[in-house]
Amino acid sequence: MNGIAVEARGIGKTFLLPHQQRNTLKEYFLHPFQRTTVERQQALGDVSFEIYEGEFFGIIGPNGSGKSTLLKILAGIYRADTGSVRINGALSPFIELGVGFNPELNARDNVRINATLLGLTRRQLAQRFDDIIEFADLGRFVDQKLKNYSSGMQVRLAYSIAIQVPFDILLLDEVLAVGDQAFQAKCYETFEQMRREGKTIVFVSHDLATVARFSERALLLEGGRTVEIGPADEVVDRYQELVAGVA
Amino acid sequence: MASNAAYLDTRPSRGDRLAYHLRILRVIAVAEFKLKYAGSALGYVWSVLKPLALFTMLYLVFGRVFHLGAISRYYPLSLLIGIVFFNFFADSTMLGMGSIVGRASLVRKMAFPRTIIPMAATLTASMTLCINLTVIAAFVAYNRIVPRVTWLLVLPLMLELYIFSLGIALILATLFVRMRDIGQVWELVLQLFFYASPIIYPVGYLPPWARTISFLSPFTQVLQDLRAVILYRDIPGNRITVATVFHGSAGRLLPLAVTAAVFAGGYLLLKHEEHWFAERA
Repeated sequence: MNGIAVEARGIGKTFLLPHQQRNTLKEYFLHPFQRTTVERQQALGDVSFEIYEGEFFGIIGPNGSGKSTLLKILAGIYRADTGSVRINGALSPFIELGVGFNPELNARDNVRINATLLGLTRRQLAQRFDDIIEFADLGRFVDQKLKNYSSGMQVRLAYSIAIQVPFDILLLDEVLAVGDQAFQAKCYETFEQMRREGKTIVFVSHDLATVARFSERALLLEGGRTVEIGPADEVVDRYQELVAGVA
Repeated sequence: MASNAAYLDTRPSRGDRLAYHLRILRVIAVAEFKLKYAGSALGYVWSVLKPLALFTMLYLVFGRVFHLGAISRYYPLSLLIGIVFFNFFADSTMLGMGSIVGRASLVRKMAFPRTIIPMAATLTASMTLCINLTVIAAFVAYNRIVPRVTWLLVLPLMLELYIFSLGIALILATLFVRMRDIGQVWELVLQLFFYASPIIYPVGYLPPWARTISFLSPFTQVLQDLRAVILYRDIPGNRITVATVFHGSAGRLLPLAVTAAVFAGGYLLLKHEEHWFAERA
Protein backbone atom coordinates (compact mmCIF):
# COMPACT_ATOMS: atom_id res chain seq x y z
CA MET A 1 0.00 0.00 0.00
CA ASN A 2 2.89 2.33 0.76
CA GLY A 3 5.20 3.71 -1.91
CA ILE A 4 8.91 3.18 -1.92
CA ALA A 5 10.90 5.87 -0.11
CA VAL A 6 14.40 4.56 -0.71
CA GLU A 7 15.43 2.08 -3.33
CA ALA A 8 18.96 0.72 -3.53
CA ARG A 9 19.98 -1.63 -6.33
CA GLY A 10 23.26 -3.52 -6.39
CA ILE A 11 25.25 -1.00 -4.37
CA GLY A 12 28.99 -1.64 -4.42
CA LYS A 13 31.79 0.46 -2.99
CA THR A 14 35.50 -0.19 -2.89
CA PHE A 15 37.91 2.10 -1.08
CA LEU A 16 41.42 2.50 -2.42
CA LEU A 17 43.73 2.71 0.55
CA PRO A 18 47.28 3.72 -0.32
CA HIS A 19 49.67 1.88 1.97
CA GLN A 20 51.93 4.84 2.05
CA GLN A 21 50.12 7.99 1.27
CA ARG A 22 52.05 10.68 -0.54
CA ASN A 23 50.89 13.96 0.76
CA THR A 24 54.02 16.02 0.19
CA LEU A 25 56.21 16.79 -2.78
CA LYS A 26 59.27 15.54 -0.94
CA GLU A 27 57.84 12.07 -0.97
CA TYR A 28 57.42 12.30 -4.72
CA PHE A 29 61.03 13.44 -5.14
CA LEU A 30 62.58 10.97 -2.74
CA HIS A 31 60.83 7.95 -4.12
CA PRO A 32 59.85 8.90 -7.65
CA PHE A 33 59.69 5.36 -8.95
CA GLN A 34 58.29 3.70 -5.94
CA ARG A 35 54.70 3.02 -6.77
CA THR A 36 52.49 3.48 -3.79
CA THR A 37 50.87 0.16 -3.27
CA VAL A 38 47.16 0.47 -3.07
CA GLU A 39 45.01 -1.85 -1.10
CA ARG A 40 41.53 -2.31 -2.46
CA GLN A 41 39.11 -2.74 0.31
CA GLN A 42 35.61 -3.66 -0.60
CA ALA A 43 33.26 -1.95 1.81
CA LEU A 44 30.04 -2.96 0.10
CA GLY A 45 29.23 -5.50 -2.57
CA ASP A 46 25.93 -5.83 -4.37
CA VAL A 47 23.61 -4.61 -1.63
CA SER A 48 19.99 -4.19 -2.66
CA PHE A 49 16.88 -3.30 -0.69
CA GLU A 50 13.92 -1.00 -0.67
CA ILE A 51 12.48 0.93 2.20
CA TYR A 52 8.78 1.80 2.20
CA GLU A 53 7.26 5.11 3.13
CA GLY A 54 6.50 5.36 6.83
CA GLU A 55 8.81 2.49 7.67
CA PHE A 56 11.42 2.27 10.40
CA PHE A 57 14.35 0.46 8.89
CA GLY A 58 17.33 -0.67 10.98
CA ILE A 59 20.78 -1.47 9.64
CA ILE A 60 22.87 -3.70 11.91
CA GLY A 61 26.11 -5.63 11.68
CA PRO A 62 29.54 -5.88 13.27
CA ASN A 63 32.13 -3.08 13.11
CA GLY A 64 33.48 -2.60 9.61
CA SER A 65 30.57 -4.33 7.96
CA GLY A 66 29.79 -1.30 5.81
CA LYS A 67 26.82 0.18 7.69
CA SER A 68 28.07 3.75 7.81
CA THR A 69 29.38 3.57 4.25
CA LEU A 70 25.94 2.49 3.12
CA LEU A 71 24.30 5.35 4.99
CA LYS A 72 26.71 7.85 3.44
CA ILE A 73 25.93 6.51 -0.01
CA LEU A 74 22.21 6.91 0.70
CA ALA A 75 22.90 10.47 1.83
CA GLY A 76 24.86 11.20 -1.36
CA ILE A 77 28.12 11.88 0.48
CA TYR A 78 29.99 8.95 -1.05
CA ARG A 79 29.50 7.90 -4.61
CA ALA A 80 28.93 4.21 -5.08
CA ASP A 81 31.06 2.41 -7.67
CA THR A 82 28.16 0.34 -8.89
CA GLY A 83 24.42 0.24 -8.51
CA SER A 84 21.79 2.90 -8.14
CA VAL A 85 20.06 4.78 -5.35
CA ARG A 86 16.64 6.33 -5.68
CA ILE A 87 15.33 8.67 -3.01
CA ASN A 88 11.68 9.56 -3.01
CA GLY A 89 10.98 12.42 -0.64
CA ALA A 90 12.78 15.16 1.24
CA LEU A 91 15.83 13.55 2.73
CA SER A 92 17.17 15.00 5.94
CA PRO A 93 20.93 14.96 5.42
CA PHE A 94 21.31 14.41 9.12
CA ILE A 95 23.98 11.86 9.81
CA GLU A 96 25.24 13.23 13.05
CA LEU A 97 24.14 15.74 15.66
CA GLY A 98 25.60 19.23 15.47
CA VAL A 99 27.08 19.27 11.97
CA GLY A 100 28.99 22.50 11.41
CA PHE A 101 29.12 23.43 15.10
CA ASN A 102 32.09 25.62 15.87
CA PRO A 103 33.35 26.01 19.44
CA GLU A 104 34.58 29.58 18.85
CA LEU A 105 31.14 30.91 17.90
CA ASN A 106 28.20 31.55 20.20
CA ALA A 107 25.06 29.42 20.33
CA ARG A 108 23.10 31.91 18.23
CA ASP A 109 25.57 31.61 15.33
CA ASN A 110 25.87 27.86 15.71
CA VAL A 111 22.11 27.40 15.58
CA ARG A 112 22.04 29.51 12.42
CA ILE A 113 24.81 27.45 10.78
CA ASN A 114 23.53 24.03 11.77
CA ALA A 115 19.87 24.76 11.00
CA THR A 116 20.76 26.21 7.59
CA LEU A 117 22.89 23.19 6.73
CA LEU A 118 19.98 20.96 7.71
CA GLY A 119 17.74 22.87 5.33
CA LEU A 120 15.83 25.52 7.30
CA THR A 121 15.16 28.79 5.47
CA ARG A 122 15.84 32.12 7.15
CA ARG A 123 12.16 32.65 7.80
CA GLN A 124 11.69 29.18 9.26
CA LEU A 125 14.68 29.73 11.48
CA ALA A 126 13.41 33.11 12.67
CA GLN A 127 10.09 31.51 13.59
CA ARG A 128 11.60 28.54 15.36
CA PHE A 129 14.68 30.03 16.97
CA ASP A 130 12.97 30.67 20.32
CA ASP A 131 11.46 27.17 20.32
CA ILE A 132 14.89 25.68 19.73
CA ILE A 133 16.48 27.58 22.60
CA GLU A 134 13.54 26.90 24.88
CA PHE A 135 13.47 23.17 24.11
CA ALA A 136 17.20 22.96 24.74
CA ASP A 137 16.64 24.92 27.94
CA LEU A 138 19.63 27.16 27.22
CA GLY A 139 18.04 30.62 27.19
CA ARG A 140 20.59 32.17 29.55
CA PHE A 141 23.56 30.89 27.57
CA VAL A 142 22.55 31.87 24.08
CA ASP A 143 25.34 34.43 23.65
CA GLN A 144 28.01 32.21 25.17
CA LYS A 145 30.63 30.59 22.99
CA LEU A 146 29.96 26.94 22.36
CA LYS A 147 33.30 25.92 23.83
CA ASN A 148 32.00 26.95 27.24
CA TYR A 149 29.11 24.50 26.93
CA SER A 150 29.28 21.06 28.47
CA SER A 151 29.02 18.24 25.97
CA GLY A 152 25.55 17.47 27.32
CA MET A 153 24.42 21.03 26.61
CA GLN A 154 25.83 20.83 23.09
CA VAL A 155 23.94 17.62 22.41
CA ARG A 156 20.73 19.14 23.76
CA LEU A 157 21.15 22.15 21.49
CA ALA A 158 21.94 20.01 18.44
CA TYR A 159 18.97 17.76 19.09
CA SER A 160 16.61 20.69 19.54
CA ILE A 161 17.63 22.01 16.14
CA ALA A 162 17.40 18.62 14.45
CA ILE A 163 13.77 18.04 15.44
CA GLN A 164 12.78 21.40 13.91
CA VAL A 165 13.89 20.37 10.45
CA PRO A 166 11.12 19.21 8.13
CA PHE A 167 11.81 15.92 6.38
CA ASP A 168 10.22 12.79 4.94
CA ILE A 169 13.19 10.49 5.22
CA LEU A 170 15.69 10.65 8.05
CA LEU A 171 19.09 8.96 8.10
CA LEU A 172 20.52 8.39 11.58
CA ASP A 173 23.92 7.05 12.48
CA GLU A 174 24.30 5.92 16.08
CA VAL A 175 22.63 9.03 17.41
CA LEU A 176 21.36 7.18 20.42
CA ALA A 177 24.86 6.39 21.58
CA VAL A 178 25.16 9.90 22.97
CA GLY A 179 23.31 11.50 25.83
CA ASP A 180 22.09 10.34 29.19
CA GLN A 181 18.98 8.35 30.12
CA ALA A 182 16.74 11.41 30.07
CA PHE A 183 17.98 12.39 26.63
CA GLN A 184 17.46 8.89 25.26
CA ALA A 185 13.93 8.86 26.65
CA LYS A 186 13.35 12.13 24.81
CA CYS A 187 14.68 10.55 21.62
CA TYR A 188 12.31 7.61 21.92
CA GLU A 189 9.43 9.97 22.46
CA THR A 190 10.35 11.85 19.29
CA PHE A 191 10.63 8.54 17.44
CA GLU A 192 7.08 7.64 18.39
CA GLN A 193 5.88 11.00 17.21
CA MET A 194 7.70 10.65 13.90
CA ARG A 195 6.10 7.25 13.46
CA ARG A 196 2.66 8.74 13.99
CA GLU A 197 3.46 11.39 11.39
CA GLY A 198 4.34 8.68 8.87
CA LYS A 199 8.03 9.57 8.50
CA THR A 200 10.53 7.14 7.08
CA ILE A 201 13.55 6.50 9.27
CA VAL A 202 16.69 4.61 8.39
CA PHE A 203 19.00 4.07 11.31
CA VAL A 204 22.27 2.38 11.93
CA SER A 205 22.73 1.10 15.45
CA HIS A 206 24.56 -1.36 17.61
CA ASP A 207 21.76 -1.23 20.11
CA LEU A 208 19.85 -4.35 19.09
CA ALA A 209 17.09 -3.83 21.62
CA THR A 210 16.28 -0.44 20.13
CA VAL A 211 16.34 -1.83 16.62
CA ALA A 212 14.00 -4.66 17.59
CA ARG A 213 11.73 -2.26 19.45
CA PHE A 214 11.36 0.44 16.82
CA SER A 215 11.97 -0.93 13.37
CA GLU A 216 9.60 -2.96 11.27
CA ARG A 217 12.34 -4.41 9.15
CA ALA A 218 16.09 -4.57 9.35
CA LEU A 219 19.12 -5.33 7.23
CA LEU A 220 22.04 -7.37 8.56
CA LEU A 221 25.37 -6.66 6.90
CA GLU A 222 28.58 -8.56 7.30
CA GLY A 223 31.74 -7.85 5.32
CA GLY A 224 29.81 -5.54 3.04
CA ARG A 225 27.29 -8.18 2.00
CA THR A 226 23.67 -8.69 2.88
CA VAL A 227 23.26 -11.57 5.34
CA GLU A 228 19.59 -11.15 5.94
CA ILE A 229 16.83 -8.67 5.35
CA GLY A 230 13.37 -8.98 6.84
CA PRO A 231 11.29 -8.45 9.99
CA ALA A 232 13.45 -6.72 12.59
CA ASP A 233 13.16 -9.31 15.38
CA GLU A 234 14.16 -12.16 13.05
CA VAL A 235 17.14 -10.23 11.71
CA VAL A 236 18.24 -9.34 15.26
CA ASP A 237 17.99 -13.02 16.24
CA ARG A 238 20.06 -13.96 13.23
CA TYR A 239 22.71 -11.40 14.21
CA GLN A 240 22.86 -12.81 17.72
CA GLU A 241 23.30 -16.31 16.32
CA LEU A 242 26.05 -15.00 14.09
CA VAL A 243 27.88 -13.38 17.00
CA ALA A 244 27.43 -16.49 19.13
CA GLY A 245 28.75 -18.64 16.29
CA VAL A 246 31.90 -16.59 16.03
CA ALA A 247 32.54 -16.55 19.78
CA MET B 1 38.04 5.24 -11.83
CA ALA B 2 34.89 5.40 -13.87
CA SER B 3 31.73 4.97 -11.93
CA ASN B 4 28.52 3.74 -13.38
CA ALA B 5 26.55 4.37 -10.22
CA ALA B 6 23.43 6.50 -10.33
CA TYR B 7 22.05 8.65 -7.59
CA LEU B 8 18.62 10.09 -8.04
CA ASP B 9 16.79 12.31 -5.62
CA THR B 10 13.37 13.11 -6.99
CA ARG B 11 11.87 15.56 -4.54
CA PRO B 12 13.48 19.00 -4.34
CA SER B 13 13.06 21.17 -7.42
CA ARG B 14 16.01 22.84 -9.08
CA GLY B 15 15.03 26.23 -7.64
CA ASP B 16 14.66 24.91 -4.09
CA ARG B 17 18.02 23.25 -4.28
CA LEU B 18 19.71 26.40 -5.58
CA ALA B 19 18.13 28.46 -2.80
CA TYR B 20 19.38 25.90 -0.25
CA HIS B 21 22.90 26.04 -1.68
CA LEU B 22 22.93 29.83 -1.59
CA ARG B 23 21.87 29.75 2.07
CA ILE B 24 24.72 27.37 2.87
CA LEU B 25 27.14 29.63 1.00
CA ARG B 26 26.01 32.60 3.04
CA VAL B 27 26.26 31.02 6.49
CA ILE B 28 29.65 29.47 5.80
CA ALA B 29 31.06 32.77 4.48
CA VAL B 30 29.70 34.76 7.43
CA ALA B 31 30.88 32.17 9.96
CA GLU B 32 34.34 32.16 8.43
CA PHE B 33 34.52 35.95 8.63
CA LYS B 34 33.50 35.93 12.29
CA LEU B 35 35.97 33.15 13.06
CA LYS B 36 38.80 35.05 11.46
CA TYR B 37 38.69 37.62 14.21
CA ALA B 38 37.22 35.52 17.01
CA GLY B 39 39.13 36.07 20.22
CA SER B 40 41.14 39.06 18.97
CA ALA B 41 40.75 42.32 20.86
CA LEU B 42 40.75 44.63 17.83
CA GLY B 43 38.64 42.31 15.66
CA TYR B 44 37.73 43.74 12.25
CA VAL B 45 40.08 46.68 12.79
CA TRP B 46 42.93 44.31 11.96
CA SER B 47 41.76 43.97 8.39
CA VAL B 48 42.28 47.75 8.03
CA LEU B 49 45.47 47.97 10.09
CA LYS B 50 47.38 45.30 8.20
CA PRO B 51 47.23 46.83 4.70
CA LEU B 52 47.79 50.28 6.21
CA ALA B 53 50.92 49.10 7.98
CA LEU B 54 52.23 47.46 4.80
CA PHE B 55 51.40 50.63 2.90
CA THR B 56 53.31 52.84 5.35
CA MET B 57 56.31 50.56 5.20
CA LEU B 58 56.42 50.32 1.41
CA TYR B 59 55.71 54.02 1.00
CA LEU B 60 58.63 54.97 3.25
CA VAL B 61 61.03 52.59 1.52
CA PHE B 62 60.03 52.99 -2.11
CA GLY B 63 58.20 56.31 -2.14
CA ARG B 64 60.71 58.23 -0.04
CA VAL B 65 64.03 56.39 0.03
CA PHE B 66 63.91 55.36 -3.63
CA HIS B 67 62.02 58.53 -4.65
CA LEU B 68 59.29 56.71 -6.55
CA GLY B 69 56.91 59.15 -4.89
CA ALA B 70 58.27 61.83 -7.21
CA ILE B 71 56.64 60.18 -10.27
CA SER B 72 53.17 61.40 -9.55
CA ARG B 73 51.27 63.13 -6.80
CA TYR B 74 49.02 60.10 -6.83
CA TYR B 75 51.82 57.67 -6.02
CA PRO B 76 50.64 57.00 -2.43
CA LEU B 77 47.08 56.40 -3.58
CA SER B 78 48.20 54.15 -6.45
CA LEU B 79 50.32 52.16 -4.03
CA LEU B 80 47.44 51.79 -1.58
CA ILE B 81 45.03 50.64 -4.30
CA GLY B 82 47.62 48.09 -5.42
CA ILE B 83 48.15 46.76 -1.91
CA VAL B 84 44.44 46.51 -1.09
CA PHE B 85 43.55 44.61 -4.25
CA PHE B 86 46.60 42.39 -4.05
CA ASN B 87 45.58 41.63 -0.47
CA PHE B 88 42.19 40.56 -1.73
CA PHE B 89 43.77 38.25 -4.29
CA ALA B 90 46.19 36.76 -1.74
CA ASP B 91 43.49 36.43 0.90
CA SER B 92 40.93 34.72 -1.28
CA THR B 93 43.40 32.27 -2.81
CA MET B 94 45.01 31.36 0.53
CA LEU B 95 41.67 30.99 2.35
CA GLY B 96 40.22 29.13 -0.62
CA MET B 97 43.13 26.72 -0.77
CA GLY B 98 42.72 25.44 2.77
CA SER B 99 38.94 25.64 2.77
CA ILE B 100 37.99 22.09 1.78
CA VAL B 101 40.56 20.38 3.98
CA GLY B 102 39.71 22.79 6.80
CA ARG B 103 36.03 21.92 6.56
CA ALA B 104 36.63 18.17 6.26
CA SER B 105 34.09 17.46 9.00
CA LEU B 106 31.38 19.09 6.90
CA VAL B 107 32.50 17.36 3.73
CA ARG B 108 32.35 13.96 5.43
CA LYS B 109 28.87 14.47 6.83
CA MET B 110 26.85 16.44 4.33
CA ALA B 111 26.22 16.22 0.62
CA PHE B 112 26.23 19.56 -1.15
CA PRO B 113 28.26 20.88 -4.09
CA ARG B 114 31.82 21.28 -2.86
CA THR B 115 32.32 24.44 -4.95
CA ILE B 116 30.37 26.20 -2.20
CA ILE B 117 33.24 25.87 0.27
CA PRO B 118 36.03 27.68 -1.64
CA MET B 119 33.40 30.11 -2.89
CA ALA B 120 32.51 30.95 0.71
CA ALA B 121 36.20 31.53 1.45
CA THR B 122 36.50 34.02 -1.41
CA LEU B 123 33.36 35.77 -0.20
CA THR B 124 34.96 36.08 3.23
CA ALA B 125 37.93 37.74 1.54
CA SER B 126 35.50 40.03 -0.30
CA MET B 127 34.07 41.20 3.03
CA THR B 128 37.58 42.17 4.13
CA LEU B 129 38.03 43.96 0.80
CA CYS B 130 34.85 45.96 1.42
CA ILE B 131 36.23 47.17 4.74
CA ASN B 132 39.52 48.09 3.06
CA LEU B 133 37.69 50.05 0.37
CA THR B 134 36.69 52.55 3.05
CA VAL B 135 40.40 53.26 3.58
CA ILE B 136 40.81 53.91 -0.14
CA ALA B 137 37.74 56.13 -0.01
CA ALA B 138 39.32 58.15 2.83
CA PHE B 139 42.52 58.61 0.81
CA VAL B 140 40.53 59.59 -2.27
CA ALA B 141 38.64 62.20 -0.25
CA TYR B 142 41.88 63.50 1.23
CA ASN B 143 43.22 63.95 -2.31
CA ARG B 144 40.11 66.02 -3.11
CA ILE B 145 39.09 63.79 -5.99
CA VAL B 146 35.45 64.51 -6.84
CA PRO B 147 33.17 61.47 -7.35
CA ARG B 148 32.41 60.68 -10.99
CA VAL B 149 29.93 58.47 -12.81
CA THR B 150 32.83 56.58 -14.37
CA TRP B 151 33.58 55.16 -10.91
CA LEU B 152 30.81 52.67 -11.65
CA LEU B 153 33.34 50.93 -13.88
CA VAL B 154 35.05 49.81 -10.69
CA LEU B 155 32.29 47.23 -10.21
CA PRO B 156 32.84 45.14 -13.37
CA LEU B 157 36.60 45.37 -12.81
CA MET B 158 36.19 44.02 -9.27
CA LEU B 159 33.94 41.28 -10.59
CA GLU B 160 36.62 40.27 -13.09
CA LEU B 161 39.22 40.12 -10.33
CA TYR B 162 36.82 38.15 -8.12
CA ILE B 163 36.18 35.54 -10.80
CA PHE B 164 39.91 35.20 -11.50
CA SER B 165 40.65 34.77 -7.77
CA LEU B 166 37.82 32.28 -7.38
CA GLY B 167 39.15 30.24 -10.29
CA ILE B 168 42.59 30.06 -8.69
CA ALA B 169 41.00 29.23 -5.32
CA LEU B 170 39.04 26.34 -6.86
CA ILE B 171 42.21 24.91 -8.41
CA LEU B 172 44.24 25.27 -5.22
CA ALA B 173 41.51 23.86 -2.98
CA THR B 174 41.31 20.75 -5.17
CA LEU B 175 45.08 20.24 -5.37
CA PHE B 176 45.47 20.83 -1.64
CA VAL B 177 43.31 17.80 -0.88
CA ARG B 178 45.86 15.64 -2.70
CA MET B 179 49.08 17.42 -1.87
CA ARG B 180 49.64 19.67 1.11
CA ASP B 181 52.87 21.19 -0.26
CA ILE B 182 50.77 23.43 -2.41
CA GLY B 183 50.49 25.65 0.65
CA GLN B 184 54.23 26.38 0.74
CA VAL B 185 54.47 26.69 -3.02
CA TRP B 186 51.60 29.13 -3.25
CA GLU B 187 53.03 31.38 -0.53
CA LEU B 188 56.16 31.76 -2.65
CA VAL B 189 54.19 32.27 -5.84
CA LEU B 190 52.22 35.04 -4.14
CA GLN B 191 55.41 36.89 -3.23
CA LEU B 192 56.64 36.58 -6.79
CA PHE B 193 53.23 37.75 -7.98
CA PHE B 194 53.46 40.80 -5.71
CA TYR B 195 56.75 41.97 -7.18
CA ALA B 196 55.87 41.00 -10.76
CA SER B 197 52.73 43.13 -10.65
CA PRO B 198 52.98 46.93 -10.92
CA ILE B 199 52.06 47.55 -7.28
CA ILE B 200 55.09 49.40 -5.93
CA TYR B 201 56.38 50.66 -9.26
CA PRO B 202 54.65 51.97 -12.39
CA VAL B 203 54.29 49.39 -15.13
CA GLY B 204 56.45 51.53 -17.44
CA TYR B 205 59.49 50.70 -15.30
CA LEU B 206 59.35 47.13 -16.59
CA PRO B 207 61.38 46.27 -19.68
CA PRO B 208 59.15 45.23 -22.61
CA TRP B 209 59.75 41.49 -22.18
CA ALA B 210 58.71 41.69 -18.54
CA ARG B 211 55.60 43.70 -19.40
CA THR B 212 54.50 40.84 -21.64
CA ILE B 213 54.74 38.45 -18.73
CA SER B 214 53.13 40.80 -16.24
CA PHE B 215 50.16 41.48 -18.47
CA LEU B 216 49.46 37.77 -18.86
CA SER B 217 47.98 38.02 -15.38
CA PRO B 218 44.55 39.66 -15.46
CA PHE B 219 45.44 41.26 -12.13
CA THR B 220 47.86 43.67 -13.82
CA GLN B 221 45.33 45.08 -16.28
CA VAL B 222 42.54 45.19 -13.69
CA LEU B 223 44.80 47.11 -11.32
CA GLN B 224 45.86 49.57 -14.03
CA ASP B 225 42.24 50.14 -15.01
CA LEU B 226 41.11 50.57 -11.41
CA ARG B 227 43.73 53.24 -10.85
CA ALA B 228 42.92 55.04 -14.08
CA VAL B 229 39.18 55.02 -13.39
CA ILE B 230 39.49 56.15 -9.77
CA LEU B 231 42.26 58.74 -10.16
CA TYR B 232 41.85 60.43 -13.53
CA ARG B 233 39.01 62.38 -15.01
CA ASP B 234 40.52 62.10 -18.47
CA ILE B 235 42.24 58.79 -18.82
CA PRO B 236 45.69 59.50 -20.34
CA GLY B 237 45.86 58.32 -23.95
CA ASN B 238 49.48 57.24 -23.75
CA ARG B 239 48.99 54.76 -20.97
CA ILE B 240 50.48 51.28 -21.19
CA THR B 241 47.78 48.64 -21.38
CA VAL B 242 47.56 45.04 -22.37
CA ALA B 243 46.61 46.28 -25.85
CA THR B 244 49.83 48.26 -26.32
CA VAL B 245 51.87 45.37 -24.96
CA PHE B 246 50.25 42.78 -27.18
CA HIS B 247 49.95 45.10 -30.19
CA GLY B 248 46.37 45.56 -31.11
CA SER B 249 43.05 46.23 -29.46
CA ALA B 250 42.19 42.51 -29.55
CA GLY B 251 44.80 42.27 -26.77
CA ARG B 252 42.22 43.96 -24.53
CA LEU B 253 40.38 40.66 -24.52
CA LEU B 254 43.35 38.74 -23.17
CA PRO B 255 42.68 39.39 -19.44
CA LEU B 256 39.04 38.44 -19.90
CA ALA B 257 40.01 35.26 -21.74
CA VAL B 258 42.55 34.29 -19.07
CA THR B 259 39.98 34.98 -16.34
CA ALA B 260 37.33 32.88 -18.05
CA ALA B 261 39.79 30.05 -18.73
CA VAL B 262 41.10 29.96 -15.16
CA PHE B 263 37.59 29.97 -13.72
CA ALA B 264 36.30 27.31 -16.11
CA GLY B 265 39.40 25.18 -15.53
CA GLY B 266 39.10 25.46 -11.74
CA TYR B 267 35.41 24.69 -11.77
CA LEU B 268 35.80 21.64 -14.00
CA LEU B 269 38.79 20.36 -12.03
CA LEU B 270 36.91 20.57 -8.75
CA LYS B 271 33.78 19.00 -10.24
CA HIS B 272 35.92 16.17 -11.56
CA GLU B 273 37.52 15.49 -8.19
CA GLU B 274 34.76 16.33 -5.72
CA HIS B 275 33.40 12.79 -5.49
CA TRP B 276 36.54 11.80 -3.61
CA PHE B 277 36.69 14.69 -1.17
CA ALA B 278 34.60 12.93 1.48
CA GLU B 279 37.07 10.03 1.44
CA ARG B 280 40.30 12.01 1.23
CA ALA B 281 39.94 15.42 2.84
